[in-house]
Amino acid sequence: MVFLREGICPGATAQLIQALKDQNVVTVMHLVSADVEDLAQKCSVSYKTLVAVRRVLLAQYSPFPSNGADLYEELLGSTAILSTGNQKLDSLLDSGLYTGELTEFVGAPGTGKTQVCLSLAVNISCELKQKVLYIDSTGGLTASRLLHLIQNQVDGVEGQSEALQRIEVVRVFEVYRLLDILQDLRMSFTRQVSGARSSVKAVVIDSVSAVLSSILGGHQLEGDKLCRPGHWWGCEASSRTLVELRSQHSHPAPAQDRRSGSAFREAQCNYTEIISAAYQNKHRV
Amino acid sequence: MQRDLGSFPLPPGIRIKLIGSGFQSAEDLSGVRASELSKELGISKEEALEILQIVRREASGEESQQSVGLPSVRKYTALELLEQEHSQGSIVTFCSALDEILGGGVPIGKIMEICGAPGVGKTQLSIQLVVDAQIPECFGGLDGESVYIDTEGSFIVDRVTDVAHAAVHHCHLIAEASQDEVQREAAQAFSVSSILSHIYYFRCHDYVELLAQVHLLPDFLAEHRKVKIVVIDSIAFPFRHNLEDLSLRTRLLNGLAQQLISMANDHSVAVVLINQMTTRFGQVQSALVPALGESWGHAATIRLILRWEGKLRFASLYKSPSQKEATVPYRITSFGFRDVQPADPPSASPVNGDNPRKRLRTEDEDGQ
Repeated sequence: MVFLREGICPGATAQLIQALKDQNVVTVMHLVSADVEDLAQKCSVSYKTLVAVRRVLLAQYSPFPSNGADLYEELLGSTAILSTGNQKLDSLLDSGLYTGELTEFVGAPGTGKTQVCLSLAVNISCELKQKVLYIDSTGGLTASRLLHLIQNQVDGVEGQSEALQRIEVVRVFEVYRLLDILQDLRMSFTRQVSGARSSVKAVVIDSVSAVLSSILGGHQLEGDKLCRPGHWWGCEASSRTLVELRSQHSHPAPAQDRRSGSAFREAQCNYTEIISAAYQNKHRV
Repeated sequence: MQRDLGSFPLPPGIRIKLIGSGFQSAEDLSGVRASELSKELGISKEEALEILQIVRREASGEESQQSVGLPSVRKYTALELLEQEHSQGSIVTFCSALDEILGGGVPIGKIMEICGAPGVGKTQLSIQLVVDAQIPECFGGLDGESVYIDTEGSFIVDRVTDVAHAAVHHCHLIAEASQDEVQREAAQAFSVSSILSHIYYFRCHDYVELLAQVHLLPDFLAEHRKVKIVVIDSIAFPFRHNLEDLSLRTRLLNGLAQQLISMANDHSVAVVLINQMTTRFGQVQSALVPALGESWGHAATIRLILRWEGKLRFASLYKSPSQKEATVPYRITSFGFRDVQPADPPSASPVNGDNPRKRLRTEDEDGQ
């Protein structure tokens, strides 16, 4: 929903915008779908200017259709598959983690989610020699355990310390900090020269629900109407950033989540809806 | 890059107004001045200025170290973390078997949860830990101070004095045996009164006080930099009584857990939480499980469950990201939390008589 504002395109003067507002044409959608002749008469604006503005806005805000075959070619060229290091897990994930995909690990406490995250970070760092960004929000990352896992794969102190250096760790305990980190990651990708070898290939977030669970879950019974849309903005915003991260920069992002209790069942359905909604949104603007 | 306005820490009322006026992302606000913004949204100029500061500071890049109240986040490589961990150390429990399965003791910078049935020794272990955190470095301790947040009223100072006496005695014995100058000096300085004076005690009567105390704790820790352990005994008690709204309870507990882990990380302290047990009813039989629900199970990094088996007490490491699951026996003596002696003469019978709750102080018992 893009609102019409002065300067949105050449020819959209303050006068024009005000006149359109008086006729209830507030967004680009309204302008594009309105009858131009009729509107030109009512606003007492020349037909030509209105048509020109409409054309520029259409060009600016409509998405380009793309060919299925082109998309497929692009996907083939840009996707890489990262093995997790565990054969059975790889076969479950159809040979590994795909770049451009979000993989989620869910489980009860003590089932081994942190261990899976640690071992896949170690595998990507040792076997594939790629950088991993590990975002820790639970305190479950102990570097000595990482070293232990690395020692099983790599011999020699040199190799081990190199492998340790390829794993970057950030500790965030608050949802806004998490969003800031993800945003910084996006900025760093856009700024990088294409083909840079030292970029991060995988982002592991352990765990998403630790930062989100203190915000989710209130009822409307709290009496605050503003609560409802405010509630899962956090979930929405973070999943949107995660989705955009992965679709624009094609690298896998396994996010560990923890689902238990009724407070999260609601979040669970919302989460999947939001991912599909966010994905659709991406193609609109 | 477009960053949605919903992802900034703005109050919900302001957010609704921004969306209503057509500002969707950070870019939309890029050319706007505070006066224009305040006119469009109908808010005061100061509020508009604040909004712009938050949005622009976050959007302007990674180097914004002096952001509005939130500390900057540093990226470490795993190698740096490893060095940090080695230098941090851990707090011993005086029960060597337990220390071994924990990987040296209670680790700094993590939350450890101790669960157990009533009377099994949770408060005793926490008293032992607040004393052990103060052991001087030359004896293998951390030479720190302790914070004890009491919600149940089970902190008895006489008991702490006894445990402190035993610890001081232990250190004196080591110093005398080794003849090391540094150790002798440290043993002189390490006395019962010094131990007691470095335990900071807070009493909270309900969950509101507990939340307030935890909220104020980071400032306290910033002033008292030597604190190495924070014990909350117990975290279950205020949340199990007088709190009917369970979803509120879950949210409060999760928020509390995040505050505690962030405090543990920023100030390098070990956080120990004492939890109670509840009964889970199954199809055929019921089991004793830690209280406060399933989602609380994710909050602690390490979980230790203490239980009875007949007349003996066992400690099981139930959840740990770096250690294997294991079970060890332990016992509570008049000197504190100790190992079970393997070659006990038959005359020194287990401390508990017929009533497992009462710990009799027998003279023929050689504690360590």
